[in-house]
Amino acid sequence: MVPLKVLFGNESFRDGVDLDSDQFFNRLAQSSNLPTTSAPSPGDFAAVYERLARECAGVISIHIGSQLSATAESARVGAQSVAGLPVHVIDSRSVTMTIAFLCLVAAQSPSLAEAVQRVEERIPKQRVIALLDTLRYIEMGGRVNRATAMIGTMLDLKPLLGVAAGDIKPLDRVRTRGRAVPRMVELLREDYPLEHVAVMHAQAPDEAEKVAAEVRLELEKEGVEVVTGQIGAVLGTHTGPKALGFAYLKR
Amino acid sequence: MALLGSLSWLAANQEEVNRLNVFPVPDGDTGTNMLLTLQSAVEDIKDSPATDVGRIARIAAHGSLMGARGNSGVILSQIFRGFAKAVEGKTELAPAELAAAFEEAANAAYRAVLKPTEGTILTVAREAGRAAAAAAAHPHATSTGVIKAAAEGARKAVEKTPSQLQILRDAGVVDAGGFGLQIMIEGMLKSVEESDVDISKITIARPAAQSALELPEEGWGYCTEFLIAGEDLDVDRIRDQIAALGDSVLVVGDRDLVKVHVHTDDPPRVIGLASQHGRLDKLNVGDMSTQHRRILEESQTNGAEPAAAAGPDRQRANQVGIVAVVSGDGLVDIFKGLGVDAIVGGGQTKNPSTGDLVSAVDALPYDEVILLPNNKNVVLAAREVDKLASKQVHLVETHSMPQGIAAVIAFNGDRPAAANAAAMKAAAGHVQTIEVTRAVRDTRSSGLRVKKGDVIALVNDRLDTTGDDYTQVVADALGKLGPDAYELVTVYRGAEAGDQEVDALSRSLKERFPGLEVEVQAGGQDHYPFILSVE
Repeated sequence: MVPLKVLFGNESFRDGVDLDSDQFFNRLAQSSNLPTTSAPSPGDFAAVYERLARECAGVISIHIGSQLSATAESARVGAQSVAGLPVHVIDSRSVTMTIAFLCLVAAQSPSLAEAVQRVEERIPKQRVIALLDTLRYIEMGGRVNRATAMIGTMLDLKPLLGVAAGDIKPLDRVRTRGRAVPRMVELLREDYPLEHVAVMHAQAPDEAEKVAAEVRLELEKEGVEVVTGQIGAVLGTHTGPKALGFAYLKR
Repeated sequence: MALLGSLSWLAANQEEVNRLNVFPVPDGDTGTNMLLTLQSAVEDIKDSPATDVGRIARIAAHGSLMGARGNSGVILSQIFRGFAKAVEGKTELAPAELAAAFEEAANAAYRAVLKPTEGTILTVAREAGRAAAAAAAHPHATSTGVIKAAAEGARKAVEKTPSQLQILRDAGVVDAGGFGLQIMIEGMLKSVEESDVDISKITIARPAAQSALELPEEGWGYCTEFLIAGEDLDVDRIRDQIAALGDSVLVVGDRDLVKVHVHTDDPPRVIGLASQHGRLDKLNVGDMSTQHRRILEESQTNGAEPAAAAGPDRQRANQVGIVAVVSGDGLVDIFKGLGVDAIVGGGQTKNPSTGDLVSAVDALPYDEVILLPNNKNVVLAAREVDKLASKQVHLVETHSMPQGIAAVIAFNGDRPAAANAAAMKAAAGHVQTIEVTRAVRDTRSSGLRVKKGDVIALVNDRLDTTGDDYTQVVADALGKLGPDAYELVTVYRGAEAGDQEVDALSRSLKERFPGLEVEVQAGGQDHYPFILSVE
């Protein structure tokens, strides 16, 4: 794992290393200026690859989508400086738990070549559906704007965003959170059958459990486990608190 | 250590410098970029045991080059570099040597930039150097005197920047990078002299300068920065290659390490080209049009003069337009904000004509248009539009503003028109509308007797509740709807509603229906002091 970084003003933290999810959102709530995020440097990657070169014959290095972050590019540059170790840098074109699912797929593969092939097959099958409590954070990061999301500034609308093929796209917008959750579930069901699914949340564990319970029975019948998890600091910078979503692989 | 003074003084004024940033493109981070660059220099100095000025300056130059961010940061690193070169091998500086170092610092900065522009940090560096040299020529010159003269020279040069650059004049500000340098030299002086400088000049809040500028159609491209580490790097050749791919080009460094800053529309090409020369490090690509838009929006929400608002994206994937009949300033803003392409004024008393609606529909750059009448008195005229217009019209028969808003929210720019119309109709059906006004005559309706002047509430177009008091009537009407089935009440406040009435209403609703969320919006509509959307 090579962490991305979150910057509050001029202070830099490694996501999940210097700052866990709860610490991040506490800090976010107290900070008057919004944090920014940055990809690991090529040097960060080179250091990890050099360590791996002593232990492994090859590396599959799976990263956050290149349309959303410079991480994969940084990994590619970092890999160039390590001689004699084949590094397959994969641009996942996605974010959050779907990348973990890809890693799981890779880890269960019998060989590096097979891992690369299996992961690449699944890249177009990743989806993220996210309900944001406000568009403010993602807009500040420049990833989505109010006009294209057709979210005016007056009403407190809840945007539903989707990530597919590396792009963030507004899926829908709803007037209340109460209505957003069933809509999310509806959108998820349109993508059945699934291979892996996670319910992700930012400081909304109860809601996440409720949403997971909603689909758990039907998915477990198909042999799909529904996991829940917290959004980390870097993604949290762009979603803001109270974000809720599904990250999944279609079958 | 004088640089620490510069650092703390710049840190204290970082936001002030950020707000001034208009040149060459508004990316809003000059103060932050300079501060981080300086910080990187200071940290390297702290980590080093060096005590002589020559070595400290060299470490600062290297540290600032590694940490350089943005245009201004890179130029600052070159200022350090020139200074370091001038003081190489020295253990202490005579006033004349210090002044010469200031001058060489400016020269190095000029050399680093492809097309030097006057009225920027370059001019300020040069004028600071000149003033320092003049002070050093005095027979009783002191180092403190030289720094003081440099600070004064910088300040005067900063003041003049608006007369040298049109873009500063238009925005009514001084150059941000130059101002940042002035603050740094003042900070240096402060720490050397331990005396107060006149801070009144630099603590005046200026409006964020970016608001006065309009975003050019093609945007500003991407601010792309990185370091190239390699052997025998040819700085000039790299600069020439990069210069062909963008503007605001800065390529500086030595044979082992080169820093690149460029504003380009094609970052991948720049990166690809640069990676042929060596290993890339500290790669950073920022979309400047996004940064600029963000500043505009922040400035608007802060109540500053509204500027070039980013209009909604007119080219929707589904090529479907929306026309809505709306009256009231606030409601018009809400509908526009949600993506409605054209508003036809009118409603309750001023019903728009079929012709008005047809012209609005035909004027849109789409072949299919969804039409929202938002009033039952407009529905009939709206039904005729499809026959007369040159476009295919999908009428969603909304009877009220709340229904219209619910319908627009359900619109999705990726879905075909017919599917959208169906979803919008369904969404409109899920909203209950309460319209509140005073009776204009005595009447009997729905089994209720109404006298002129009574407060009346219409629920979904039907006379429902009467009384003397807005708060009481609204609460009663809402009570009859069965509030347990709903989660949100939006109150659209009409032109005739007073502040006290609005407060009383929203307070009483929250008290009586604690399970409901209550949101008040400025509607600005005539005739109905309150329109409520219950969903």
